[in-house]
Amino acid sequence: MRLLLLNHIENAVESLRSNRTRTGLTTLGVTIGIASITMILALSGGATKIVTNQVEELGGNIAVVRPGETKPPNQIENITSPQSNAYATSTLTERDVDTIRGVPNVQAVAPLMVVSGSVRSGDQSPAASTVVATTPDLQTIVNFPIRDGQFIDTTTNIDTAVVGSQLSVDLFGTDSSIGKTFQIRGKTFTVIGILKPLNKPINYNNVDFDHAAIINLESGKSFNQGIAQLQQIDVKATETDKLPGVISTMRQTFDKTHNGEADTTILSGEDLSRPTSQYFYAIAATMTAVAAISLFVGGIGIMNIMLVSVAERTREIGIRKALGASNGHITFQFLIESLAMSIGGGISGYILGYLFAFTLSRSLLTFDPLFSWEIAAVTLGVSAVVGTLFGLYPAIRASRKDPIEALRQYH
Amino acid sequence: MNNAVDPTTPVIALHGLTKRYGIGDAEHTVLDGVDLTIKKGEFIAIMGPSGCGKTTLLNILGLLDRSNGGDYKLNGKSVDSLSSAAHARIRSDQVGFVFQNFNLVPRLNVIENVALPLTYRGVRKTKRLQAASKMLATFHLSEREYYMPWQLSGGQTQRVAIARALVNDPSIVLADEPTGNLDSRSSHVIMEELSDIHKRGNTIIMVTHNPSLTTYASRVITMLDGRIDTDTKDPRAPINQIDTTKRRLDSHSEPTKTEEKAKKVSKKSTKTKSKSTRKGTKK
Repeated sequence: MRLLLLNHIENAVESLRSNRTRTGLTTLGVTIGIASITMILALSGGATKIVTNQVEELGGNIAVVRPGETKPPNQIENITSPQSNAYATSTLTERDVDTIRGVPNVQAVAPLMVVSGSVRSGDQSPAASTVVATTPDLQTIVNFPIRDGQFIDTTTNIDTAVVGSQLSVDLFGTDSSIGKTFQIRGKTFTVIGILKPLNKPINYNNVDFDHAAIINLESGKSFNQGIAQLQQIDVKATETDKLPGVISTMRQTFDKTHNGEADTTILSGEDLSRPTSQYFYAIAATMTAVAAISLFVGGIGIMNIMLVSVAERTREIGIRKALGASNGHITFQFLIESLAMSIGGGISGYILGYLFAFTLSRSLLTFDPLFSWEIAAVTLGVSAVVGTLFGLYPAIRASRKDPIEALRQYH
Repeated sequence: MNNAVDPTTPVIALHGLTKRYGIGDAEHTVLDGVDLTIKKGEFIAIMGPSGCGKTTLLNILGLLDRSNGGDYKLNGKSVDSLSSAAHARIRSDQVGFVFQNFNLVPRLNVIENVALPLTYRGVRKTKRLQAASKMLATFHLSEREYYMPWQLSGGQTQRVAIARALVNDPSIVLADEPTGNLDSRSSHVIMEELSDIHKRGNTIIMVTHNPSLTTYASRVITMLDGRIDTDTKDPRAPINQIDTTKRRLDSHSEPTKTEEKAKKVSKKSTKTKSKSTRKGTKK
């Protein structure tokens, strides 16, 4: 059989062009479906990427100790951040930090204490800011990129702070704010260092350091009657293969020091990110299923219009058959027409989806949508499948028309 | 095309062709054992009352329909057992249709309509349009190339349809009441065109209700109740013997002169045609 692909494409374009409104509306159905799928995949992909990035960041030799009993690693509740327990009494204390320091093969230990209270400079008081009290060891573990100045250390005054780049801009209107002062709960702090923009709102420390002010643990304790309220302890082992040993030693030690109470959780590697990424996957899957319904509706729209088109052009089908078109030619002609609509809808939906995703991520979210060839392939593939699936029945129906009957039709 | 190689092979040979519609009590025999041999270069007019099976016969000859029994040989090859795709291929390569209601595709303009049969032979767009343009020029329709079908008069439309039927250089042209929707003046123009292409060596089979049009034909067949009732020529008789009684109705030309002309022209065009077909097979 002569395939005549080029001819069919010409023909399809011609016939779709002659019914612009109808074609446009039908394509819109697919466009909306594909746009929502693209948007969901791009955004959830972007979110998941942040989560998986933290695993890479951990470098395989970092463990995290959190208050609260150990939960099965697959539960979605695990992602509930310690910040939400800020006012509950943490089971982690400075004593635990000292205990971990005593464990062999530990290179660095950094306690994290999130201080409640607003940050203020003049009349500027950014709402999204966080105050984290920690020790200089945090720099050894996280290795923050410093834009200007230095990280907190033991020799500096306790009333000094390192601020995130966004917080600096929010407070002072500039990101070079070395030496400027601001207030935390009425107490004045001097900026000694500014971090580079990290753009990692989701990380294993559960602190968006772009919006954070990092102060010394001693300063943090002064806000809490001299008692440390630790939300998390970061532990770094000397080498990657030493980490399991460090973790089991810590478990045993905590069992003794916490009087046999299982009130701490030690997480490392994928355990840290798995609940979070599973959470995103679950949301993405649910939303994709919903978007698939709209795509299905779009597909039905294509089938509907193709059936109308076949009925309208019955006589043309008869003429074409009389002039030498085989059933295959007619099937292809109509199939390519529906494919043109669905793939056209797919491409415009892909573009529209990313436009929506960027609008959303710029206005509401803190991360960028993910660009990957998988998303492009999925949307293109899905739209091609929709076009074939919903175009096949009308096309076969068209090709099965008896030429004599078809020629007899008037319209 | 076999007839170019062996001129004695008839273009169409039918033996005991039958066609029935319906099942059981509702069964209705439309063609009841039709025997017919058509040679290359004949212009056949099929007459008969409504429902005698003329159109059905034409549809079977054009492979739009299948017979229930009997044998149909096109250019010496039996086509009954072929698949519908093979039938489509034969329609594309060897059959040209002219319809009573013209059947141009309304969405396409004149030149695209004429080029349409070439699409299914896989001819590229530019070549297609060139061939169509050439064909339209022979029908003096060059100025109408980019008109849409509804912008043409009935006679013009039918001439476009004839141009379309001829563009793929078919071995048979099938015309189902080509003048049925036209006034008598346009009818005669169309018949002149048909007899012109007949003179160029084409085989034409035409169904008509109008007895005056049979004068253009070289052979007249009347059908009755699915059978051939009368045939102006025994299939074995020489081609150019024409029933002179019918000739009287031809008001346009002297019968003997046209006949001689027709002979000459058809001889000439047979030569040119065989050349062109050889070219065609090379492609």
